Amino acid sequence: MISITHFLIVSACIFCCGLYAVLAKRNAIMILIGIELMINAAILNFVAFGRYDKSNYGGQIFALFAIVLAAAAVAVGLAIILAVYRHYKTINPDNITDLRD
Amino acid sequence: MGELLHISPILASILVMLLPLFAFIIQASLGEKATSGNISLIAILISFILSATIVLPGIWNKPPQYNTYDWFTIGTKTFTIGILLNNLTVLMQLVVCLIAVPVHIYSRAYMKGDPGIARYWTFLSLFCFAMLGLTISKNLLMLYIFWELVGFASYLLIGFWYTRDAATAANKKAFIINRVGDIGFLIGIACLYSLFGTLDIIEILGEGGLFSQGIVDQQSSLMTLAGLGFFLGAMAKSAQFPLHIWLPDAMEGPTSVSSLIHAATMVAAGVFLLSTLFPLFNDTVLLFIAIIGTITALMAAYFALEQHDIKKVLAYSTISQLGYMMVAIGIGAWDAAMFHLTTHAFFKCLLFLGAGAVIHEMNTIKKHDCQTIDPQDLRNMGGLRKYMPKTFILMSIASFALAGFPLTSGFLSKDAIIISSFEWAIHQGGLYHIIPIVLVVVSILTAFYIGRLIFKTFFGELRINTTANSLLHEAPKTMLWPMFFLGIGCLFFCFSPSPISYHLAPILDGFSVTYSFSEVHSLHIIIPVTLTLTALISWWIAYRWYVLDQHPVHSYNLDIEQNSNRKVAVFDFIPYHLANSLIIFSRWNYHFDKYIIDGSVNAIVKFTLRTSQIASWIDTYIVDAIVIGISNLSKRIANFSAWFDKYIIDGLVNTIAQTTYYFGHLLRWVQNGRLQNYLGFALTMVLIGIIYLILR
Repeated sequence: MISITHFLIVSACIFCCGLYAVLAKRNAIMILIGIELMINAAILNFVAFGRYDKSNYGGQIFALFAIVLAAAAVAVGLAIILAVYRHYKTINPDNITDLRD
Repeated sequence: MGELLHISPILASILVMLLPLFAFIIQASLGEKATSGNISLIAILISFILSATIVLPGIWNKPPQYNTYDWFTIGTKTFTIGILLNNLTVLMQLVVCLIAVPVHIYSRAYMKGDPGIARYWTFLSLFCFAMLGLTISKNLLMLYIFWELVGFASYLLIGFWYTRDAATAANKKAFIINRVGDIGFLIGIACLYSLFGTLDIIEILGEGGLFSQGIVDQQSSLMTLAGLGFFLGAMAKSAQFPLHIWLPDAMEGPTSVSSLIHAATMVAAGVFLLSTLFPLFNDTVLLFIAIIGTITALMAAYFALEQHDIKKVLAYSTISQLGYMMVAIGIGAWDAAMFHLTTHAFFKCLLFLGAGAVIHEMNTIKKHDCQTIDPQDLRNMGGLRKYMPKTFILMSIASFALAGFPLTSGFLSKDAIIISSFEWAIHQGGLYHIIPIVLVVVSILTAFYIGRLIFKTFFGELRINTTANSLLHEAPKTMLWPMFFLGIGCLFFCFSPSPISYHLAPILDGFSVTYSFSEVHSLHIIIPVTLTLTALISWWIAYRWYVLDQHPVHSYNLDIEQNSNRKVAVFDFIPYHLANSLIIFSRWNYHFDKYIIDGSVNAIVKFTLRTSQIASWIDTYIVDAIVIGISNLSKRIANFSAWFDKYIIDGLVNTIAQTTYYFGHLLRWVQNGRLQNYLGFALTMVLIGIIYLILR
């Protein structure tokens, strides 16, 4: 029997993978993928918790919105990465330290 | 020449004084190039002509002339300089010129080829200027300045060969001893100034001057002090006992210099000074002068007996003759002193120039044979009569004059002094007779030592082996002519129309001194005859001893050593003891001079040196040490506070600053601009928050 706990564990695993990618990868695109993974983990939680909201299917609907927003965010993120590449001739976040004082 | 004669004697005498000064300046500015000495010679020659044709005829036996110029003012007192021309000063000026001219000419030959000859002429002109200025000074302060200048020129000339240690030692000695006398002179000047309020000789001693007004008691102790002070000055300058020790050493200078400065002119300056100021001296001072003069005359004559250096014999002879002059001043016969000064200048200068010629020849032998002989040593000489007959004759004339033989000038002047002293002694009576008797003894000794000098130098055979006989020759003409000139000056007719009586001498007439004692006619026959006879006897003894080689001591010694069988005859015995005791006494005297007088002077000098060393030690090691210690201490303190400041105060501040900087640096690392790090930190904080919430 698959309980909600299993969903939550899978979701946590995906989130951790995404977090690792965001923190450790040396490529901005991979970071973007990590962000997608973390959003997907969240969406998975929405869907899993949506089972207990039988009347409105609120979880399912939030998941759909989130997917759309994620797609939009990825488009913006890719555009930013492209702009960053044009400016710095690199997309390695280690080499981009302009936020430093 | 006719136009020249219109120059007033004052102007002429100033010119006489200034010409050698110009020569000195020109010589000094030309430097090493001016070797011929023509400038100096021409200057002194013109001085001589002016002095002889204008100054002397214009003043001699006429009223004195003087000129005064203001010099400077202190408070309300104005000091003056001025020219004083009277019989005394013009005579002295003429004597200086008269001796200086032949010496200048002689020097041209004598000093030829010396590397420092330009210096020699410069110094000689300086000396002439100073000496001529000294003679005609009207003011005592001016006289004192020239007095010093003369001493300085003498210092330069004694040390002319400055590479010789003996010369530099001698010139220092001369200078220091002259300084001692100068202090006396200065004391005299100070006393006179406090008594009269002026230093002008005319104002003090002239007709109707302060002195004749009788406002000052001549017997007062201040006057005695002034007199003794002036005499101390004269003692040093005129080499009187015990300040005579510099003169024999001064013979280190060139012989021509010795003849001009240390025989004829400068050493006579003391006699001249005392004659100028004669009225100031009271009986105490005069007696003191006479006693010192007698002691000097006797001691110096004894020293001269045993000297081997030809110049030293003459130097001691000069001291002895100066002693005569001092006695003459002491007994009040300063005209006789000036007379003897004048005649002595001629014959002593001639003796020195002759000695210079002899030394010149001995040097020829020395150079030819490369021997290490002393060219001035009498023991090496002998038989030079054959090689240089003219020098021999001239020196003989001079030594006859010195010994006081008739027909010479020395006979007149020496008789004047000795007869006056006898008359003075008879007038005073008692123990005062010692002085004239001593003078007679000195006269005998004088005849003996000068005879010894002549016989040892010119008679017999040359005492050293040499092959340079053919090189020996008469002195060159430039040396002989001045000597001829001086030789004529040694004869009686230059000074007096009568060869026997000094009373007719114009020099004595010119001064017209009134003696305090009466004339004793019998003495005027007895004394000259006695003196001549004793002089003859001493020459005969000297001849026997030194030419015939019958020296009693010598033969007696031979007898003892070689032939004890030969009997010593009685008549040999007495001369032996006489001679032996004389020689021992002379040696003893010389040693007394050398070790006691010189020694005491040296001891004083050493004492002064030692004291100054101690003072300098105290200065270096105590006074300086304290100062250095204090300075070191403050340096240490300063160093310590610098260290404290640097390492403690600054260190504290720096440590705080660095700690802050370190922490800042540590935190700065967080702000590295990498987004991933920022996210990591954010995550860490979230995790910490979660862990906190769980553990709570």
